[in-house]
Amino acid sequence: MKVALTVWENRISPVFDSAHMLLIANIENKMVTSRHYEPFYPKLPLRRAAKLSDLGVRALICGAVSQPFANMIEAYGIELIPFVAGDVNQVLDAYLKDILSTPNFRMPGCEARRRSTDAATGDGGASRSGKIS
Amino acid sequence: MKKDTPHQIPRHVTETILESISDGVFTVDHKWRITSFNRAAEEITGITRQEAIGKHCWEVFRSNMCETDCGLRRTMKQGKAFIDTSTYIVNSEKFRIPVVVCTSLLKDENGTVIGGVETFRDMSLVEELRKELDARYQVGDMVSRSPHMHKIFAILPQVADSDSTILIQGETGTGKELLARAIHNFSPRSDKPFIAINCGALPDTLLESELFGYKAGAFTNATKDKPGRFALAKGGTIFLDEIGDISAAFQVRLLRVLQERRFQPLGATREVTADIRVIAAANQDLLELVKSGTFRQDLFYRINVVRLVLPPLRDRKEDIPLLAERFIVRLNGLRGKAVTGISHEALALLMSHNYPGNIRELENIIEHAFVICPEGEIEPHCLPETLMCPISRPTAHGTIDSALKSVEAQTILDALKRNNYNRLAAARGLGMHKSTLFRKIKTLGIELPAIDGRSNRKRFR
Repeated sequence: MKVALTVWENRISPVFDSAHMLLIANIENKMVTSRHYEPFYPKLPLRRAAKLSDLGVRALICGAVSQPFANMIEAYGIELIPFVAGDVNQVLDAYLKDILSTPNFRMPGCEARRRSTDAATGDGGASRSGKIS
Repeated sequence: MKKDTPHQIPRHVTETILESISDGVFTVDHKWRITSFNRAAEEITGITRQEAIGKHCWEVFRSNMCETDCGLRRTMKQGKAFIDTSTYIVNSEKFRIPVVVCTSLLKDENGTVIGGVETFRDMSLVEELRKELDARYQVGDMVSRSPHMHKIFAILPQVADSDSTILIQGETGTGKELLARAIHNFSPRSDKPFIAINCGALPDTLLESELFGYKAGAFTNATKDKPGRFALAKGGTIFLDEIGDISAAFQVRLLRVLQERRFQPLGATREVTADIRVIAAANQDLLELVKSGTFRQDLFYRINVVRLVLPPLRDRKEDIPLLAERFIVRLNGLRGKAVTGISHEALALLMSHNYPGNIRELENIIEHAFVICPEGEIEPHCLPETLMCPISRPTAHGTIDSALKSVEAQTILDALKRNNYNRLAAARGLGMHKSTLFRKIKTLGIELPAIDGRSNRKRFR
């Protein structure tokens, strides 16, 4: 299974919408069998999601992501694990150990959630509504 | 007399000020870790001070510029402040919050740089208001800044609500079907079908079976019943486009349906009630057709209950930038491209064109540009060659400034002609003060005839 992480200065990119580099990790039996970096320059939500799909990515670990991009990624059937922060290697290790939801790897204001379905409910941080998305 | 000396503002006063303002403020140290975070910053980001302090600023602020064009980084690197950079941040609910950002260096009392300070203002309300302003120019899928179109937009709700038959007149490509759809969508029949048919595209016999339908056995190969468009539109709206092109014989049949609100499918023995609203459209002047005897007068008066006339694009050139922007957004979505807009030079060329094909022609021009120019701004070389040598271009070696002046002069002249050279009416139509119009007429060297709208009126008295 292929997992993609948005990378910036060896950390998870703060915002998926403007991230420019992906780390693609091939995972088998909870072990990374291969990994490589992939430039990630599409700008539009549709193009970004399509590129991930073309790369065969099954799960995406990223920082903050806005609704149009999140919707498109999920429409492509890619598991979305957003609002993750920290060193890329540590994040990947935590993913393999299934401890990514611990506060150490969460962005501030984003309570620990389980994968994309929980994340979509948006229950973390102070409540704001009616914003443009 | 005691000399006044400036008081040093105590530290707690600065904190009180920071807590009372509506702009978010945070400071960072040299390692980009947040050292202070005011109340407004908490409100705008949805992150508490306790959570924010000590964290990397990009994990808290989460702007789309953090990675590529961070204002604080530029400030720290260049040692100067940056003001009013527009960006957006993403909150924990995945909402984008538009903000403007200012950054500057943070120094201690000795002038040593100890970090940076970033202030940001929530622009959500401004964005909402901007959207509401844009909405004023839009009805259904139609957008316009033209006063003539605004008159149509203003009466559209009442027209839609009335259930009266409507005649839409306008040149080809002016958006007659879009207007018909907008009327249907605003009408009480909006949850029922909207059926459009181009009467000019079909011969009489086919048009008859298309509109009225037929019963099995009505003619050879009619093996089963086929409902017509009148039946399909039951409870809804039927849009009869190019009604001026139907034959004299068919005009009689149509007149009967409009009068009796009943029709008889081919091969049927009983009449069927037509529960429909009729919107007809023509690109010719139907009154002229009536005068020339090619269109029945009684049918004309039957459909000419409410008449809406769509102006050609050359008479509403102020809409070209707005329409072009809409086509770009739509085509970016459809084609997955990233065209950001139109350069001034390309826009000047678009403005100088006469558009015999109206909005449809403009749409085709933008689509042509998308083929040549997949991203960035549309430049003149992306436009069709026919636009490159417009009729009204001043000189072969003219600058962009002279091209713009030429377009401006042409637009003013067109407005004056439309208003029978009445300067006041033309100024009103152009959305400018009459003295501005007089000044422009003088500076652009526009030659006008001796008569004007007022002198005309006097002549008729």
